[in-house]
Amino acid sequence: MSLNKNMRVFIVDDYNTMLRILRNLLRQLEINQVEEATDGETAFQLMLKMPPELIISDWNMAPMTGLELLRKVRAEPKLRHIPFIMVTAESKTENVIAAKQAGVSNYIVKPFNAETLRAKIVSVTSVPA
Amino acid sequence: METTTNQLPDAHDYLDRVIQELRALKAPQKDTLVGVLQYLSDHIRATRAEIGAIRGSGSGDQLFGSTADELEEIVTETARAANRIMDAAETIEGVAAKVDPASAAALTDAVTHIYEASSFQDITGQRITKVVRALQSMESKLQSLAGAFGRADFTPPAPAEGDAALLNGPQLAQSASSQDDIDALFGDVAAE
Repeated sequence: MSLNKNMRVFIVDDYNTMLRILRNLLRQLEINQVEEATDGETAFQLMLKMPPELIISDWNMAPMTGLELLRKVRAEPKLRHIPFIMVTAESKTENVIAAKQAGVSNYIVKPFNAETLRAKIVSVTSVPA
Repeated sequence: METTTNQLPDAHDYLDRVIQELRALKAPQKDTLVGVLQYLSDHIRATRAEIGAIRGSGSGDQLFGSTADELEEIVTETARAANRIMDAAETIEGVAAKVDPASAAALTDAVTHIYEASSFQDITGQRITKVVRALQSMESKLQSLAGAFGRADFTPPAPAEGDAALLNGPQLAQSASSQDDIDALFGDVAAE
């Protein structure tokens, strides 16, 4: 399975440093169509206007958490089909289960490396031949 | 007697009066009771003094205000450092595009590791935020406790003197002198 380098990706994190890291790592993967937001509500409104092909979001944000954003995305007909990767320091089993129940496509625990990011993107965006 | 947590200083005074009245009695069994009540009275007084000392060590109503500020400053400083590290990494990545393929691959690999490692700022930031919230929660509980015990019997610690008064650690941004301020004190011209 290969990486679709032309996909539009939306990244959400309340730490600008992490947004910059994600953007740089995506650029190294030659994914250059990247939109971003530092909070869930702004992200949701922007995504409604131009739905991305992949969402990568932090969990621990305020006032809307990444889990709430995920639920909102899954409840919105225009966005519900979009792969959603949670990238978070929340690594307890109950967190992963809650995210899965809410419809997360995959889950990356911080700190992560570039290869993990690439592999998860490929796994949630590729259509098996 | 109605005793609520808000009336603990009154209750303490009442306890002292009971002890005084018991001492005036001639009953032979009073000594044990007086001893127990005196122990309780002394214990309450010592606890009030200790809580007073905690209140006195904070600035104003904030017991841990300066500690929380210091921790938040760590988050700000590490964010600044992480961004400078990434500025440098992005510059290296730009250079990598202009060199031979083997060198470019090595540089790009190193830059990837720098990006990965820069996530320390996010992780440490979240941990420090948790500590700040815990401090704020403790502060709130101690304020309630201190309110219940009332202000009492507290002698503030003597301020540090001499060289010890100069050991304050890194300054918070709002109270720090800039290099230009320091150069001005020395009459130097700021470096070009």
